[in-house]
Amino acid sequence: MDPMEAIKQTYFQECDELLLAMEEGLIAMESGEADSETINAVFRAVHSIKGGGGAFGFEILVGFSHVFETAMDLVRSGKLDPTPDVVKVLLRAGDKLSDHVTAARNGGSDAVDDAEVKAELAKLTGEDPEDAGAPAPADFEGLAFAPVMIDIGDEEPAAPPCPIWHVRFAPHAGLYAKANEPYLLIRELGMLGPIEVTADLSKLPDLSALEPDQAYFAWNVALKDCPDRTKVEEVFEFVSGDCDLEITEEKVEAAAPAAFAISAPGLPSLDDDDEPAAAPVAEAQPEEKKAAAPAAAQAAPTTVDLIKQTIRVDLDKVDRLVNLVGELVITQAMLSQRILDSVQQGQTVSAGLGELEHLLRELQEAVMAIRTQPVKSVFQRMPRLVRETAAQTGKEVRLEIEGETTEVDKTVIERLGEPLTHMIRNAVDHGLETPAERVAAGKPAEGTVKLSAEHRGGRIIIEVADDGRGINRSKVREKAIERGLISPNANLSDEEIDNLIFLPGFSTAATVSNISGRGVGLDVVRRNIMDLGGRITIGSANGKGSKFSLTLPLTLAVLDGMIVAVGEQTFVLPLSHIIESLLPKSADVKAFGSNGMLLNVRGVYVPLVSVGRLLRVPGAKYDLANSVVILVESEGVGRMALAVDAIVGQRQVVIKSFESNIGHIDGIAAATILGDGRVALILDIDGLVAGCREGTGGRPTEYQQALGA
Amino acid sequence: MPQASKIRAVVVDDQLTMRTLVRSCLQQIGLTDIREFPKAPEALSALKAQPAHIVFSDFNMPEMDGLEFLRSIRSDPSLKGIGFILLTGRADADLVKRAAQFGANNYLVKPFTVAVMKQKLEQIFGALS
Repeated sequence: MDPMEAIKQTYFQECDELLLAMEEGLIAMESGEADSETINAVFRAVHSIKGGGGAFGFEILVGFSHVFETAMDLVRSGKLDPTPDVVKVLLRAGDKLSDHVTAARNGGSDAVDDAEVKAELAKLTGEDPEDAGAPAPADFEGLAFAPVMIDIGDEEPAAPPCPIWHVRFAPHAGLYAKANEPYLLIRELGMLGPIEVTADLSKLPDLSALEPDQAYFAWNVALKDCPDRTKVEEVFEFVSGDCDLEITEEKVEAAAPAAFAISAPGLPSLDDDDEPAAAPVAEAQPEEKKAAAPAAAQAAPTTVDLIKQTIRVDLDKVDRLVNLVGELVITQAMLSQRILDSVQQGQTVSAGLGELEHLLRELQEAVMAIRTQPVKSVFQRMPRLVRETAAQTGKEVRLEIEGETTEVDKTVIERLGEPLTHMIRNAVDHGLETPAERVAAGKPAEGTVKLSAEHRGGRIIIEVADDGRGINRSKVREKAIERGLISPNANLSDEEIDNLIFLPGFSTAATVSNISGRGVGLDVVRRNIMDLGGRITIGSANGKGSKFSLTLPLTLAVLDGMIVAVGEQTFVLPLSHIIESLLPKSADVKAFGSNGMLLNVRGVYVPLVSVGRLLRVPGAKYDLANSVVILVESEGVGRMALAVDAIVGQRQVVIKSFESNIGHIDGIAAATILGDGRVALILDIDGLVAGCREGTGGRPTEYQQALGA
Repeated sequence: MPQASKIRAVVVDDQLTMRTLVRSCLQQIGLTDIREFPKAPEALSALKAQPAHIVFSDFNMPEMDGLEFLRSIRSDPSLKGIGFILLTGRADADLVKRAAQFGANNYLVKPFTVAVMKQKLEQIFGALS
């Protein structure tokens, strides 16, 4: 990559951080909590974006940020009071600046309409926005700078000079007979310091006189930077009887102090003729392949990097690490399986293995923590979204954010943005009433949308709650009947009615606005969340508001699962979906319809499905009375009892996605590798349950056809 | 003629992009020993541990600004001989004047070119090879 291009990438990355810092600061200013350092940080962010933009010639961006910077400068120096109105303009300017950065990143093709905001900023600063480009850098010729006197002095006392060792090495035939290799010996000398090798071929006879098992070569080696004669001798320790060896020492004059003292004005020490130590290190003679000595000793002086900052790690590297640890876990599992199989009373072994397992688990957690990030990066985009949506719909909205430091895997964060955007828009557009309606209903004109995140039970819960009108259940019901989604006489609970809005093709907005109605329905949001292994639920109280709750796994790399046996196959059920496991009595199993079954679980009937039959597993038991039943709960569709042959155990498995190779299969989420090296499929409970539900409803589905159930 | 490759430089700017740009320009001029610091206090202690010939520093930085940094350098007997070039975002005559009073050796207005940077360096070190 062109170096400038690489720096540009750095610039845009840095812009993202600066924009976030800027927005954070502006929001603090909005709530009146900003101290002078926060205000200065906002100024600095705008200033830095401008400065970098100038280096890459983003003139429009620079022009806009200049006006913005001028306004921030006035606020910073106390000449402009950050009243709510002023901050509102600044916030909008921040949004525009972010658009400008995006436009510049996309090659400047999308024009940003900033005239209005620019005019408002100019009103604050009293500057004419038209001639507000960055002023041409003036030269201050009149300013006299202090004459330069740079003298750092002798900061690096030279190490005591090392002699040069001249080694003459002439192997006898016996050396070769004992399978010694001169090349290796010379290479070892090269480990002690830079060497210069010349081969002495003077003894080499004509080809006719050459005895193949005689030795004719000798080498002269000059070795630098090795203070110790014995080190040189040690190299030849094992061949001393089989060669002629001469080691002579050449004294070296103490070198002039390392070329470093600059003293003005002549700066002699920077001159090129003052360079004894840096003479090029010996190059080998062309025909002398043996001189390919490692130049370890030539390592450039390293400067200690004192920057203790967060590092930017290429995600690929981290992924590789995560993958490796995953493999390690599998290996450990395989190992313990084999040892348990072969050693009956291996108590000490198993104690060691237990420790290994413990350590590995810890290591895995630590490695995966590298990938986690606070949800802040997604949450931070929401204030702007709320501002814009509110402006478009004429509503007054306050956004409250809680738990933005909650950490979750980066892949989850990346895929959270879209559903969250949709839900927030939905809350403002459909959830909240207009100010007039709110006042009429006895509520404050300003509506509240609350976005929160927290860890609960190994998962992350994200909630979007509004204090709007709530779901109008009779309207939802009407609509669902109209669309043929439910039958007119269906008896649904409030919760079931609320969940109807997630069905494909459902839209309750009387008028399709250009905000929420962008062709993406809540069904897509739900699909996205389910693809992440999460669930979405809605709660609503008429007139008081609604609340969407997202439950997501913290990582997409591992899963706590229950291993079950079905016929010849082994499956993994995600632990998060399991409620309990039980051994049913045959009296509890009731036939239902033509081939459906119900299980009586303490008085409640739950659909019972044999996993073996459903997936047509060879060798599966069909004797339900002898099966183990696992009660699972699926998102939205309710509970279901899955009959399996036996429970094998419970463990953490590494998820191996096969979607890129095989594609999506309903009912199967992914695969994993078990301790015995076999592949086991991880069941997608939601898919399974949904498939079965549709099946019992009598509608043939793709899923049933695919499985032949 | 002094060799550019022997000049030890320290670059201080809170912005990674700027540090990288300065480094890139310096490398094009021929410098090889370039250390970067996002904050002045870190740079100050690093300079005490291992001096440099020239410092490029931004003005507006959190914790310690460029002038404060310059003053700390000039008031430390072991560091006061170091060359100091102030990087400024705009041609702010007052700022440059104050920098000159504090003992800056030169200034550089962002954005800058390699040619301008070389010229400023040569005003300090003489023609570079």
